[in-house]
Amino acid sequence: MILDLHTHSIKSDDGRAKVENYCQWIRTRELPIDGFVLTEHRQFDLESDYSKLAADFGLTILKGAEVETEYGHVLVFGVTAPLLEAFDFSDIHLPLARVIEACAAYGAVPVPCHPGRKRVGMSAHLAEYGVPDGVRIVETLNGGSRDNEDAVAQAMADELGYRGIGGSDAHIVSHVGRCATRFPAPITSEQALVEALNGGEFEAVSFRDA
Amino acid sequence: MSVATVREVTFGEELPVFDPDTSLDNVIRFTEAAGWRGPRFTDHEAARKEGLPGALVPGIMSQGFLCAMIHRWAPPAQIVEVDTVFRAPVIVDQTYHINGVVTDVDETEGRVEVDLTVTNEKGETRVFGTAKVKLPV
Repeated sequence: MILDLHTHSIKSDDGRAKVENYCQWIRTRELPIDGFVLTEHRQFDLESDYSKLAADFGLTILKGAEVETEYGHVLVFGVTAPLLEAFDFSDIHLPLARVIEACAAYGAVPVPCHPGRKRVGMSAHLAEYGVPDGVRIVETLNGGSRDNEDAVAQAMADELGYRGIGGSDAHIVSHVGRCATRFPAPITSEQALVEALNGGEFEAVSFRDA
Repeated sequence: MSVATVREVTFGEELPVFDPDTSLDNVIRFTEAAGWRGPRFTDHEAARKEGLPGALVPGIMSQGFLCAMIHRWAPPAQIVEVDTVFRAPVIVDQTYHINGVVTDVDETEGRVEVDLTVTNEKGETRVFGTAKVKLPV
């Protein structure tokens, strides 16, 4: 099963894609992915129900979030009501330690994303803040990466023993599926995604040249 | 290939790739016409002194390129909105490609949405956005 673990819809301030159009695009272009996770900026989208769209297009559509910390941006998978109470998702100065602690307490998985990017990536902040405790997974393939950002991310993951996921970081329809994550078994819920990430059997894959 | 009505447009259709003229001469002509004179747009050395990688193609010029691309593809199109996100600077005298692809079609209303990306020769996205376009039904 291949899921794009990092996408944004029009729910994000800089997102320009409607979820239905992501689905249309994946099927029309016959992209080799089975679904995607909506990781809206600084929020968790409680109100949207994409189950009918998912069924109509035969895709898995899950929801997560992308929050902002002193180490840069962090994807959060397995968001639940108690986690939403644990910290303010809209805060752009969240302490990473607090996010990691809350995720551990409420069964979620934090994943620093585009960690090789200046300013909003984790590697840029290691010299100042040190290696954070509790990070196990980082996004090593990001569809929006430029220059050597993915190489920096992979080098950091190799050095610190992190596992890597992939996500397109799509903000427009035609960017979905540029990078993704391959899992050995089907995933149809946020809980199953958390279990799969905790299980450690996955790999980042790129379709940018496909 | 150009289109004249919304019925000729299909979801996923790619617009002809457009390689904009980002030469210094062309940018100078644009900034003079637009009243946007400034060394960061017209002088590589001056731009570098500001910490930039080189002279910048003005954002409104990039948006103009996007609109020009749409009108080459669909001459009767009314461009309702062009919404751009600038991820990285577009540098004068460097080669860029503008790609467009249809990502939504409303045949009843004649509305079309187009994804737009400006990429460099390494395939890196510098600017992305969407355009909302109205075509004759």
